[in-house]
Amino acid sequence: MKTDNKLKGRDLINVGIYGAIYFVILFAVAMLGMIPIFLPLLSVLVPILGGIPFMLFLTKVKKPGMIFIFAMIMGILMLLTGMGPWPLLTCAVAGLLAELCFKSGAYKSAKKAVLSYGLFSMWIFGNYLPLFTDYEGYFAQRADYGEAYISAVQKLMPLWMAPVLLIACFVCGILGGLLGRALLKKHFEKAGLA
Amino acid sequence: MVELKHVSFRYGLGESNSEQASSLSDVSLTVRDGEFVLLTGPSGCGKTTILRLINGLIPHFYPGVVEGSVTVDGQSVQERELYETAAQVGTVFQNPRSQFYNVDTTGELAFGCENRGLPEREIYERIDGTVARFRLEKLMDRNIFRLSDGEKQKIACASVDVSGAEIILLDEPSANLDFEATLALRELIRLWRRQGKTIIAAEHRIAYLWDLIDRAVILRDGRTIRELSGKEKDTLTGETLAVMGLRSTMQEAPDQIQLPTIKEGDREIILRDFRFTYPGAGHPVFDFPELRLAAGEITAITGSNGAGKTSFLSCLCGLEKRCQGSLELDGKRYDRKARQKLCFMVMQDTGNQLFTESVLDEVLISLPKGTANEKARAVEILKQLDLGGLLERHPQSLSGGQKQRLAIACALASGRKLLLLDEPTSGLDYAHMMETAGLLRQLQGMGATVLVVTHDSELIRACCSRRLSFSPQYTGRNNK
Amino acid sequence: MAYSSERSQEARRGFLDPRTKLALVLILALFVMGGLGGEALRSIKTVLSALPFALLLVERQGKRFLRGVLMLAVGYGLLFALPYLPGVLNFIALMCGGILTRFVVTVVMGEYLIASTSVSEFISAMERLHMPQAVTIPMSVMFRLFPTIGAEWRSIRRAMRMRGIHLGGAKGTQVLEYQLVPMMTSTVRIGEELSASALTRGLGGPVRRTNICRIGFRAQDCVLLAGCLFVIAVWILEICGVALW
Repeated sequence: MKTDNKLKGRDLINVGIYGAIYFVILFAVAMLGMIPIFLPLLSVLVPILGGIPFMLFLTKVKKPGMIFIFAMIMGILMLLTGMGPWPLLTCAVAGLLAELCFKSGAYKSAKKAVLSYGLFSMWIFGNYLPLFTDYEGYFAQRADYGEAYISAVQKLMPLWMAPVLLIACFVCGILGGLLGRALLKKHFEKAGLA
Repeated sequence: MVELKHVSFRYGLGESNSEQASSLSDVSLTVRDGEFVLLTGPSGCGKTTILRLINGLIPHFYPGVVEGSVTVDGQSVQERELYETAAQVGTVFQNPRSQFYNVDTTGELAFGCENRGLPEREIYERIDGTVARFRLEKLMDRNIFRLSDGEKQKIACASVDVSGAEIILLDEPSANLDFEATLALRELIRLWRRQGKTIIAAEHRIAYLWDLIDRAVILRDGRTIRELSGKEKDTLTGETLAVMGLRSTMQEAPDQIQLPTIKEGDREIILRDFRFTYPGAGHPVFDFPELRLAAGEITAITGSNGAGKTSFLSCLCGLEKRCQGSLELDGKRYDRKARQKLCFMVMQDTGNQLFTESVLDEVLISLPKGTANEKARAVEILKQLDLGGLLERHPQSLSGGQKQRLAIACALASGRKLLLLDEPTSGLDYAHMMETAGLLRQLQGMGATVLVVTHDSELIRACCSRRLSFSPQYTGRNNK
Repeated sequence: MAYSSERSQEARRGFLDPRTKLALVLILALFVMGGLGGEALRSIKTVLSALPFALLLVERQGKRFLRGVLMLAVGYGLLFALPYLPGVLNFIALMCGGILTRFVVTVVMGEYLIASTSVSEFISAMERLHMPQAVTIPMSVMFRLFPTIGAEWRSIRRAMRMRGIHLGGAKGTQVLEYQLVPMMTSTVRIGEELSASALTRGLGGPVRRTNICRIGFRAQDCVLLAGCLFVIAVWILEICGVALW
């Protein structure tokens, strides 16, 4: 077989297949997140559950670009479902980091795969960004309850929460990656999928 | 012209688990322009592999080692890219649910031409031409997910037609179709015949094609064992066919097989007020004020796709809240909840009903709680079903037939008395079909009642003793 | 009359071009949710916020419209109830209300986009925006697979019920395994067959794809796109320190 690095139809379809599974899981968890109390849970549950399809996806990744495209598509879908343009930004960065990390393991190192998924999971932070950017500016326009809101939000989502959430995404990503690896060994390899 | 010269092939690593992946050794085949060749033989004979060599999926999609040469109109398939071969060779695949790429029918017809970058105007004209010839007006601008399998397969054929391919490959296109849909498929193939297309079909069900073909090539274990052309093929007897592992060449509608639904002296299963309406539909798909079935027998449930046979099974299993009727067996009445513990269904996608990581575990979780000596019992059941050697295998890695047997093993373990099977022989060759028939008789011997939804006349002939027809005149009071 | 695919494509055309919808999604995300722009844009933002609701009505998506209104009502209801709520409840209400009112407009816009755009329209729009195949192919595969995944998932849950596998809370991870593993296995298998079929039909060739789906800008698109440009213009002027009013 030729070993050129250009992405072919099959590679792109693979991105679509695993992207679809990942997004469905994301969406199912996000339904929980519709109740805003659970919002911070997204940074825990999505990285952990998403690790299952993503680790299987990584077994199909042999060429550069697939992880990055996967990430960008998540960003586009977030934009379309109304989460704003910030996820696009974090997806680009996280996707690139994940791509480089997995590439450094020659697209087969298991440890790098887990790490790569941890990095990838940091894109989820983009969904929280609007809560941290400019909330004074935004709520100052609603003078009636603006003050109370800001102080309350600052209590629950104080600025120091930002790095905490980001790290939570990463750590849970690592956990999800490990879970994904475990299921890969327990099921998918035996079933002939990986 | 399609030419295979001394072709041998072995699937590469990672493909060894795929069910129909079987190698070829030294196969030569020439198909002239306008010829219609049938490739047939028992599963694993290599007929699908030959089609994959011609459309280029081997080696571009399924990697492996190819020896010899495969050419289409003088061009080597191996050396060309897949999208180059795509303009000449069109393929209709087995599974109607997985071969469409678009969500709507019109987009699906246009897909091949769009990929080649043909001008819009030309694509419109081609679609209109195909729609008129195939009489597809009613299927256009529809959501493909709402079509029946027969309709999906028609769209798959139409999309090959729109692409204008001169060579058409059919990879078991009838496997999931009922009798009428198979006849409709036959008509489309006849249209292509008249247009002078080159057709190569791989099939187990050979009856619907038998009088249309120029030549039949019979394969076994990756080799050509016999070629029949012209008159030769008409002289084959049923026994010779069976010896070669082939299905019957006679077409028989399952509804024509004369079997009673119930006989004098049968133990009875009585269904009362058994009706089911799809959410949002005006009238029920079936409605039985009272229906008597024979207990302890193998009953075939026949009728065209969409008649509600599969829904009938779900209702029996108590999976449909909308069906509140009751079932009476041996003087005991079972309501919906109770039926969940009485019936076991072997679904069409058997893979979706197996959950654990090994064959043994799968049976263990089915045993009632508190069974003494669980493991020994499970192994015993698995041995009965010829799965004794596969205890540690992952259920998802089994072949279709093995998954089916495993599901039945779970049914036996759970001690359910009513076994329901949904199209258990679609896509099976003669030997495997007979194996399933034998298995059903074995279950009957163990005292189970078996209901099997099927459009396979040969299976009915082989093992069924009763038949319930799901055609409108039987389905009760509101259907006109 | 004979069937004409061109005529029926024309008849199926949506009210807006998908590209216009994308532009609106972006503008709403930036200005309404993202809070770009200050005092000068305040009244414009009110108009923008109402836009997705109006569009849902135009497309006769009554249910989605009502759901959006309900979300908005709950959000504001919580915020207005604040003064009457004690301690922790107050806090929760504030949080929920704040987030709901902030996200609802863009979420409703997203709902509108999804409800009113067919997959082929969307892909056609992406292609006209010169998105590379690296993006359009995976996305079209995803849209194709979503209904499949749903169907497989339902079928697996039914099978679990049929087999009588009820798992208690203690075996949470097992529920996950029992549902996710077969769901992924069958989705991946269907996906594989899907790619085989798509590749034999020439997907992924180096030519520029055509798309028979009819999209294009009409009067309503031009009005809305002009509106988007206007919003951006006002914002730039504001940054430059020019006050319009």
